[in-house]
Amino acid sequence: MQTYLSLMLLFPLVGGLASALLGRKLPRVLVEGIACAAVWGSFACAALAAAAYAAPETVTVAGWFASFDLDIPISLYLDPLSLSLAVMIGFVCGLIHIYAVFYMRSEEDYPRFFALLNIFVFAMLTLVLAESLPLLYLGWEGVGFCSYLLIGFWYTDKNNADAGRKAFITTRIGDTALMVALAWLFQLFGTLSVSKLNGMGFLMPGSIITALGILFLVAAMGKSAQVPLMVWLPDAMAGPTPVSAMIHAATMVTAGVYLLARMFPLIGGSATVLSAIAVTGGVTAFYGATCALAQRDLKRVLAFSTISQIGYMMLGVGAGAVTAATFHLLVHAFFKALLFLGAGCVITAMHHEQDIFKMGGLRRSLPLTFWNFLAGAACLAGLPLTGGFFSKDSILMAVWHKGGALYQFLYLLALATALITAYYAFRMVYLVFGGPGGDGHLQSGSELKVMQLVLIPLALLGLFGGLFNLPAYIGEGYLNRLFAGVAGGAPGGGSHLEEIVMQAIAGALALAGLLAAYLRYGKGRAQRLEEAGSQPSLLGSFLAHGWYFDNLYNLILIRPYRALAAVLWQRLDEGVIDDSLDRLAHALGRTGSWLGRWSTGRVSIYLISFAAGGGVILGYLAWLAL
Amino acid sequence: MEATLFYILAAVTLTGTLCAVTAGQAVRAIVYLVTSFFALALIFYLLGAPLVAAFEVIIYAGAIMVLFLFVIMMLELGSPEKLPKPRLSDWWPALLLMGAVIGSVVVLVAARQPAGVPGFTEISVRQFSLALFTRYGVAVEVISMQLLFALVGALYLGRRR
Amino acid sequence: MSVPLYHVLVLAAVMFAMGLACVVAWRANVIMMLIGIEIMLNAVMLVFVGGSAHWGIADGQLFALMLMALTSAEVSLALAMVVYLHRRKHSVNTDHFDSMRG
Repeated sequence: MQTYLSLMLLFPLVGGLASALLGRKLPRVLVEGIACAAVWGSFACAALAAAAYAAPETVTVAGWFASFDLDIPISLYLDPLSLSLAVMIGFVCGLIHIYAVFYMRSEEDYPRFFALLNIFVFAMLTLVLAESLPLLYLGWEGVGFCSYLLIGFWYTDKNNADAGRKAFITTRIGDTALMVALAWLFQLFGTLSVSKLNGMGFLMPGSIITALGILFLVAAMGKSAQVPLMVWLPDAMAGPTPVSAMIHAATMVTAGVYLLARMFPLIGGSATVLSAIAVTGGVTAFYGATCALAQRDLKRVLAFSTISQIGYMMLGVGAGAVTAATFHLLVHAFFKALLFLGAGCVITAMHHEQDIFKMGGLRRSLPLTFWNFLAGAACLAGLPLTGGFFSKDSILMAVWHKGGALYQFLYLLALATALITAYYAFRMVYLVFGGPGGDGHLQSGSELKVMQLVLIPLALLGLFGGLFNLPAYIGEGYLNRLFAGVAGGAPGGGSHLEEIVMQAIAGALALAGLLAAYLRYGKGRAQRLEEAGSQPSLLGSFLAHGWYFDNLYNLILIRPYRALAAVLWQRLDEGVIDDSLDRLAHALGRTGSWLGRWSTGRVSIYLISFAAGGGVILGYLAWLAL
Repeated sequence: MEATLFYILAAVTLTGTLCAVTAGQAVRAIVYLVTSFFALALIFYLLGAPLVAAFEVIIYAGAIMVLFLFVIMMLELGSPEKLPKPRLSDWWPALLLMGAVIGSVVVLVAARQPAGVPGFTEISVRQFSLALFTRYGVAVEVISMQLLFALVGALYLGRRR
Repeated sequence: MSVPLYHVLVLAAVMFAMGLACVVAWRANVIMMLIGIEIMLNAVMLVFVGGSAHWGIADGQLFALMLMALTSAEVSLALAMVVYLHRRKHSVNTDHFDSMRG
């Protein structure tokens, strides 16, 4: 087991370093091959570890840092949660690497790209497998760092660089909270090992656990783009599409949910924290869905959709259902990556046009993409019997069963969000693929064919993902069994009848959303295209600008900061510090010139100076003798 | 009696010097100074240095002051307009310095006043010349060299080109 | 003769101060400055002679004599310079000779 885990981490790390150091010297095919092989090798190790898995175990690979009473070994923890995530990461990232090889065919700077992709996989796996919290923090920071570099991959365009910086700075707020939590945990418990900490939750009073939980929640908010730290994700779409698929759909943004699930035994004891997590998740889900309604850019629709779906996962964790949240995380990774990769195919075919109102009729020109994309949209909407349906429903069940006014309200909010989700998903499909054929020439090529082929396994997994965790009345879910030992993994209560009723409600809402989208964008497509040319309504622009959160932050945070920076720069740095030195130098110069006026060349002046000096010395000697 | 004589001569010296310093014209200053030097020579004699007193009259009052007069008259600086007189702004630093010097010296000397008052001993001419030509023989030669240099220098500076 | 040495020294000091005052007050006039210097030198000679009388050795008087000789040499050179300067600028105002300023 130790070999599998060590190799799982080593492959992508070595691949990344090889690309970084030798990438420009080796032939292109070799670099791409190494990159893909590294991630698939990692997946193979994960699969082997899964096959050999018997019980949760901790593997210590090496020591990292030990001084006084702070001991941080490089130790990895394999339990159902980390195992399932590791397998998913290996598989999805492997597929995306193959896709990226063809997507980035025309890119000259590929060594940097593949190096960053591999190092990202390494950091993500470290995060998922870490047993000691500083190691998790290493992975956390690593994914953030790679995300920053990859968002701003085409850094020569200022917008891309700005988007990367925005992502980094916003997630930094969460990272600071995590660092504070880490330091505080060490001060309270004297250890930073996850398994030990999870067993020690009862030692501290509730208020401290609540505070720790809130800190973890803030960290998760930053990394997983929850309200109020979600402003970076829509702008992060400036990066290449494989990056968006890998980092901002499937893996990095789920790291926050993973953190909360991992620390669930510690912080789950506080009802306040769970409510806070649930509220964050619910509000974010609603926010993301409403914003996705009004977007014009294909990738931004998917970005807001990601925000919304991760809100669902947080809601699941907040309801105490870690299994349901993980189930949704896995299935979401599949169909969201699928949607993004499909969007990449569409964008490549349309010569990098990203406005959905300018697309149309692609179901005839890109049939393979169309069917896969449709499968992904169906999962997203939660149409009955798709994987998304089962996973979303298990979360809704758990929320309903938690009980209490807050959770009932959140349940209704989540139902409304599900309706909106179905609506915008099919809005996207109808606008991009429906309608008469577009008049633009499509880019085609062998790359596009391979890219479309990659979509198929993801579509299958998405559609049949429901098999992972079938509801109780069909058969006991596989994941439920697997997660039985994990804290919060117990399936929610409720009779089979309740479950069927809830599923019927959710399914009906999904179909209603589909119908509404068909009526508005399927039949009324021409009207909508006309309307798109004119000014959007007030509500429309409010939603399109993400509820104007960017403007709000600009007003209350960025403008005061810039004003302060300007003051400090001009008044303080240049005015006080620089000027004071200048003035000091000038004063010294003037003093020197003034003293220089003593050498007048006139003997009378010299005489009197001489005599005065002599007088002073005499006087001093006399004063001494007094 | 010699003490009173000393004090009278001291008064004459100081008065002569004062008048020389505050004189309006250079010639008058020099004549006052000659008076002062005569009194000083007598003081020297009272202090038991007859040879020095003689030389003071002969060399100082007789040669040096005459040389001064000679140069002043040669340069035709006798008329008052050619001599810029000092104003008050020139006098007060001088007075200040005077006060400082005198005060300092009085304090310094008063602090070390010895208990007894030994009398003065007279040095005879024989003793003087013995010391001069035995112990300070080289000095005499050096001084004669120096006078030669001064002569040459004065000749060179005074040459008409 | 029972004048204390102290009194002789005070007399010499007063003369010296007056010579200094003459130099300082007349610092614009070369001739008067030289006169002041003469006064100061005489005061110094008085100190030497007084010292030699007090301790009964001839060295003080000898030095006074040497001082006199040197003074005469110095005066002759100084006056020759005054003549020279007067030929250059027709002035004995020291402030006119300030080409060494700066």
